[in-house]
Amino acid sequence: MSEVTLDSLTKRYDEEVAVDGIDLTVRDGEVLGVIGPSGCGKTTTLRTIAGFETPTEGRVLFDDDDVTHVPPEDRNVGLVFQSYALFNNMSVLDNVAFGLKMQGVDKEERRDRANELLELVGIGEHAEKDPRQLSGGQQQRVGLARALAIEPRILLLDEPMTGLDAKLKKRLEEEIGSLLDELNVTTLYVTHDQEEAMVMCDRIAVLNDGRIEQIGTPAEIYERPANAFVADFVGTSNAVSATIEDGRMDLGFATYDIDDIPETAEGTAIVRPGDFRVGEGDIEGVVRDRYYLGDRVRARIELPNGDLVTVALDPSTENARTGDTVSLVLDPSGVHVLRSE
Amino acid sequence: MTGENRRTDDETATDGGTQTGRSETTDTHRTSREKRGGLHRFDVSSAFGRQAVTLVLAATLTFLTLPILVTVVASFGTSWTGVIPTGYVNLDNWRTVLGLAEGIGVRQGVIRGLAYSAGLATAGMVINIVVGVPIAYSLVRYDFFAKDWINTLAILPIVPGVILAIAFLRMYPERGGSTFGLIIGYALLKSPFMVLTVQSSLQSMNLQQIEESARSLGASWIRTFLTVIVPNAKDGIIAGSIITWTLAAAEFNFTYIVHSAGPRPFSLFLFENITRSPVLQGAAAVSVYFLIVTAVIVLLQRVGKAGFTTVER
Repeated sequence: MSEVTLDSLTKRYDEEVAVDGIDLTVRDGEVLGVIGPSGCGKTTTLRTIAGFETPTEGRVLFDDDDVTHVPPEDRNVGLVFQSYALFNNMSVLDNVAFGLKMQGVDKEERRDRANELLELVGIGEHAEKDPRQLSGGQQQRVGLARALAIEPRILLLDEPMTGLDAKLKKRLEEEIGSLLDELNVTTLYVTHDQEEAMVMCDRIAVLNDGRIEQIGTPAEIYERPANAFVADFVGTSNAVSATIEDGRMDLGFATYDIDDIPETAEGTAIVRPGDFRVGEGDIEGVVRDRYYLGDRVRARIELPNGDLVTVALDPSTENARTGDTVSLVLDPSGVHVLRSE
Repeated sequence: MTGENRRTDDETATDGGTQTGRSETTDTHRTSREKRGGLHRFDVSSAFGRQAVTLVLAATLTFLTLPILVTVVASFGTSWTGVIPTGYVNLDNWRTVLGLAEGIGVRQGVIRGLAYSAGLATAGMVINIVVGVPIAYSLVRYDFFAKDWINTLAILPIVPGVILAIAFLRMYPERGGSTFGLIIGYALLKSPFMVLTVQSSLQSMNLQQIEESARSLGASWIRTFLTVIVPNAKDGIIAGSIITWTLAAAEFNFTYIVHSAGPRPFSLFLFENITRSPVLQGAAAVSVYFLIVTAVIVLLQRVGKAGFTTVER
């Protein structure tokens, strides 16, 4: 395993900039998520690390080795795709042993190691099958075992769960997540699904328009988003304009004492739906619509100043129907203020 | 490990559950339809649809295969004056056609001609595999200047054998009629069928990601192409080989114009026997043709099934 560093990486296609000067380090043994909307450059970044794209500027380093111009077959990188991309002309076992064969490992040993890996991902009994006989989840496990077999310096996962149904996806997230932890593999995990990234990753990089908007732990990017884009992309949020003066934060519909931002500032307050509660509060609002989601109710509430805020309510204790007037309590400790420059 | 195994079983169980759900829906649907039966208009397609399709299929198959069967049977007859030939089993027609008969005016070297012709078709087919597979690959895999035009040219069999033959003789007066000329001509004329079948085979897989997986696992480009891409395009290559071989063997126009000396290729053998011989000899010649073609198809399919695999057992 290695530490992988992208040093002011830029990729341009003619006039279009796909990746715009990214500096990024995937630490040894860490699972780093790369999330962002489609076209943000996340797949280009992954393909550059794998060696299928040559950067226009910048370098790719595996530990201290500059691999920018090393061909993909000499990089020792594990790749897992959404489409599984298994070799249907080979058995499941031979798929997993393929990389070892390329490395010149002898037949007995590569059979043993491939079998071990198939056991590890939980499909040992399917070793002799044709990959097409397996279900989607099983095929993706083969893909993972195949990529891990070569003991890659970095494992690159490109939307590996996207084609799977919700329930299976949840289970694979947990399984693969703990497997990657256990094996301590340096991993870059590309996905458009922020929730998946939060489950799987130690840290997350949020990409937009070829630039990194923020890198941090899941909690950091959720609770303290660096800007409005991150706040909006990661989870649901209400962006409320805020004024801070003399230790007081004025959100327009309510004012709170705060300690950690003493100076005067104007900006946007990011209020998560879970920061609100229905109770004896000082914010009055009318429920405009509500969606029952099982473990919570998501409601949009219109405040007296005309703002609509999204609120997450507990269905067992907080009863609110469309058209009701409710009184809300806001916990200001969860509110994060982005200061406008 | 038992834990993981159990989870995998769950996965299968979930699949099963979904299927049960689906069949229940179908049942409900059917019941409601039966209930409405009295008011419903008589449904022609559900009453006769299946039978109609079967009938059309059977009629088509009979229409296509009956003449061949009758011809093969007739080739063993002695005379064909009525509806059905009479005087079985007579091998004279086959002997004459294959040049094995004794007596005055026997044909010479027929079998040599057939073998020669099979060789020409095989060589043309091999050229088409060697050239057509990479062409199909690059058309599916890459974007390049004038790709659509090149694609159209590669897959459209627009040049008729007559025109190519005349062009050949004009361009290469000395070599046009040679074995080499015939092979190149067959390869050129039939290449669209190889490109087309291989292309559709390659399009049915996620070519780029499969290739990139292999490369990331340490295979060079050429090794990836030979051990992963080509074996996965196997079905297309076999289909293309069968089509190019049989069409080359039966190509008459090009052969008739270009062929000057040497053993008689297949199509000329057929032409000779059909136009200038008694009907039953023609029948024997046609039977010989179908026999060889069938043998080649079976052979190519077996080679295809056995070859192309890197699975180590």
